[in-house]
Amino acid sequence: MILSFFSDLFAYEFMLRALAAGIVLGILAPLIGSIVVVRRLSFIADTLGHFSLVGVSASLLLSTLGVSVFFEEPLFLGLIFSVVGGLLIELFRRSYKSYKEISMVIVISLGTALSAVFFSKAKATGSIYTYLFGSILTVNNYYMYAILITFALVALLFLFFGKQIIAVSFDETSAKFLGINVNVFQLIFMVTLSVVVSVMLESAGVLLVSSMMIIPVAAGMKLGWSFRSTLIIAIFFSELSVFLGLWMAYSLKIPSGAAIVSVNIVILLLVASIKRIVQKRQIAKMDKETS
Amino acid sequence: MQIDIHNLSFAYGHRSVLNNLSLSLAPGDYLVVKGKNGSGKSTLVKCILGINPVKTGMIFFDHEDINNFSKWPLFGYVSQKFEEFNYEYPVTVNELLSVYSLKNTNQSYRLKLLDQLGILDIINENINNLSGGQLQRVFIARAMLNNPEVLILDEPTASIDKLNTEYFYRTVNQLNGQGITVILITHTDSLAHMNYSHVLSLNLDMTYQFQVRDKCDLEEVEKI
Repeated sequence: MILSFFSDLFAYEFMLRALAAGIVLGILAPLIGSIVVVRRLSFIADTLGHFSLVGVSASLLLSTLGVSVFFEEPLFLGLIFSVVGGLLIELFRRSYKSYKEISMVIVISLGTALSAVFFSKAKATGSIYTYLFGSILTVNNYYMYAILITFALVALLFLFFGKQIIAVSFDETSAKFLGINVNVFQLIFMVTLSVVVSVMLESAGVLLVSSMMIIPVAAGMKLGWSFRSTLIIAIFFSELSVFLGLWMAYSLKIPSGAAIVSVNIVILLLVASIKRIVQKRQIAKMDKETS
Repeated sequence: MQIDIHNLSFAYGHRSVLNNLSLSLAPGDYLVVKGKNGSGKSTLVKCILGINPVKTGMIFFDHEDINNFSKWPLFGYVSQKFEEFNYEYPVTVNELLSVYSLKNTNQSYRLKLLDQLGILDIINENINNLSGGQLQRVFIARAMLNNPEVLILDEPTASIDKLNTEYFYRTVNQLNGQGITVILITHTDSLAHMNYSHVLSLNLDMTYQFQVRDKCDLEEVEKI
């Protein structure tokens, strides 16, 4: 089964495209995910995923009505709605300063309701499944361009402002003493996160996009001893799960998002269990030495 | 840096915390702010740092209005119990300090600072493995990284033991001796180990006493 997967991987263009998309997302997801975790924004990623579904469903509805926008590619309208969702969260967060999670409930409800309405009126409802659970094997060239451009922008952002991004994420108050405008930073990060979520939508799926960002980082945190090592470990786990997930999705004919996230969860459970066993042994050894 | 506060009042909604407070500090002064919980100590610091917007009264830094002030890197701040910081995520002392260093801060200055604070040996440690005393010195190092002119410490000894507290106040005295203005808030600590120049006592009824060291009745202040 593995051998036929490898031979098919290089025999078909769609497989190579899926692999390339997977490799890039395997770096992008934990890179943004590590900041999302430090800033405790895990549920915002989930909310943005739901809101970008409004764009996807609107695009399908417009296509049904014979209106062609953005080359009839749902990704682009999804991207715009994801950014709108991000800005709405920021707006509501400022109105409910002590109850910031309210903003996410409002945006996620609005997103889900509008998506349901648009999907119900669109003809191509079969693709709902793809957008909910992901289908990396069907990604097209537009999607590849979107992923590569997003990756380049995020890489540049981290290259030039990585220090500031990390400073604000760990401690907003002290970031002020570096001369960083925290409000502008919040806005830039929210827009970046919205774009990343929307380009991950097709391969990870609305329901699993935040998992693909967060779970490899959660596993990295169990083993990492520094910010850098945690990120490298998270990227390694992320790439491993993308590759194994791609194989499972192709061989077992299951949604790619579900396959990738399942591998991620297995890795996290293994890492957490092994760490617990090692720690217990170390404590037992220390107890033995002291007694 | 010269700090001038004129008739500062502040309220959280309808609850007034500071009323008509005025004081002046010259460069190199060491102000201890004493007062019971709820007397407005942290509120005052947050006003000075521009975290609480100053609407009634005025604050000037070197004669520049706080509302136009932008040279915040001249301030170093250690917040109460370091509560603002995000723990649990692995990050080493060196990584943390690199992130909060401005471009002109070099590695040798950073190492010298860590040595002065007695934490050079933990530079590659994950901050989650540090004791309260070590962590506190890391945060002071962070506040000192960019050569601030003013160091603001909000109840900095809240999470450390007595021995570390004395060591800590010696370090603050040394830093003040180098010409850095210090504003230190304390609820419980004795002033015995501090080389303070001024004391501000805040009362729950929003009255206050601002005194220079020579004219200050230490026994009265310690009772607060």
